[in-house]
Amino acid sequence: MDGGNDIVSYLIVLLFLASFLMNFTDIPQKIQMQRFSSFVRRRLYTLEELEADTRRKAIAYMSSVGVKEPSRVLEGFIDNFFLIRPVDIEPTDIIKRLKHLVRVRERSVRDYVKRVLSDAEKSVQYSVESILEVASALRLLNKLIRHYLELGIKYNNWIMVMQLAMQIPEVMEVAKAYAGSVDAFSSGIPIGDGVGPLVAKMLAGWREPSRELSEGTDLYEVEIDKKKVYVIKASGPGSNVGWPGEALERLVKECGGNIDRIITVDAALKLESEESGEVAYGAGAAIGDLGPEKIAMERVASEYSIPLDAVVVKMSEAEALSPLSKKIYEGVLRAYDTVLGIIKEKVREGGTAVVVGVGNTVGVR
Amino acid sequence: MLALQLDALLMALMIAVLLLLLTAVFPWILSAVGSKSKVTREELVEVVRCLKCGYESVRRHEKGDYVGKIVGSCPNDGGSLVVKAIYVEKYVQTS
Repeated sequence: MDGGNDIVSYLIVLLFLASFLMNFTDIPQKIQMQRFSSFVRRRLYTLEELEADTRRKAIAYMSSVGVKEPSRVLEGFIDNFFLIRPVDIEPTDIIKRLKHLVRVRERSVRDYVKRVLSDAEKSVQYSVESILEVASALRLLNKLIRHYLELGIKYNNWIMVMQLAMQIPEVMEVAKAYAGSVDAFSSGIPIGDGVGPLVAKMLAGWREPSRELSEGTDLYEVEIDKKKVYVIKASGPGSNVGWPGEALERLVKECGGNIDRIITVDAALKLESEESGEVAYGAGAAIGDLGPEKIAMERVASEYSIPLDAVVVKMSEAEALSPLSKKIYEGVLRAYDTVLGIIKEKVREGGTAVVVGVGNTVGVR
Repeated sequence: MLALQLDALLMALMIAVLLLLLTAVFPWILSAVGSKSKVTREELVEVVRCLKCGYESVRRHEKGDYVGKIVGSCPNDGGSLVVKAIYVEKYVQTS
């Protein structure tokens, strides 16, 4: 009888003590901080492995295409070639300044790759550029996660560490997709982001382009249902997104604005409740650049009052960077039918339409 | 009488602890028992299409092929076969 009484008393005292410690001290937060920081640290090791693996693949690919001292080339690229965004508290001509800076950076990267790969064809140079960009992005991701973790630990900011732990699974997905994209870039396989160029190529009937409209951006001319259709896409099959906005602007001006409809096709980020490969259409320019290409499309369409349509194929960020899946391919077929439907129904007989296939054209000539 | 009450209290405490433990491991049990789809194999395939008659077939991807590349002639009418798409086919097993 006494023994039972003792146990219950101990338990009650223990409960009170535990309740006091949990409610009136920082011990729970310290424990949580420890748990969350070790959770983030474990992911960081994986991130470091991904980065190292990407570097190995990048070096192997560069040696295979004839780059001398590939590790020096890689080290020379990572942490360099950053872009400082233009001043935005004075928005006058911000797009012009941003476009200038983006072009300057692109040319610097292109020149850097050309210096070490002067004899290689353009598509190989574009693929090397993309692989270097991926390695650089993974390095940045790794450094950012480490920065926030160390900052949280340094200032005992358990909320920061907890937020980081909550967000890191998403970051890991993106990092894995980035690392996986190196295989696609090096072996020339289309990725999810390439749905626009794939639809464009299908519309063009897999023909060769008629000419290069702007740097790294091709033009195809076809006739569909007694309507003239201009198709614009980045030059493949190397990893390249081209300058679709500038190309569209140039084409519309060349035609004196006599265009009945502009249709843009691109990949779009899906919501978790949506299925990959779902196709939707609407109005506007379907393109996810920093701004200059998109605004060029919007400006030229509004200048000549040309209806601007957008057709998108939904996918996750990881799918956009990974080799094309069957679900996304089926989405490409649906997007092609949608674009064809728009041309047949909304463009008058004898009229002209422009279709812009936006996205990375790796693996698509 | 008091001994019986104490035993009941002790039992109630133990049940409470047990319930707490079950609540903690319940999501894990649920995920372990629930049906899972597992990707068993992935294969890179390409769709080839005849530019003349529209004949299409799916075959294993060959290194160096890209969309738009002419890869042979059609078995039906001898027209040019072009690579229409390259994608990853996933074979899923549900357990």
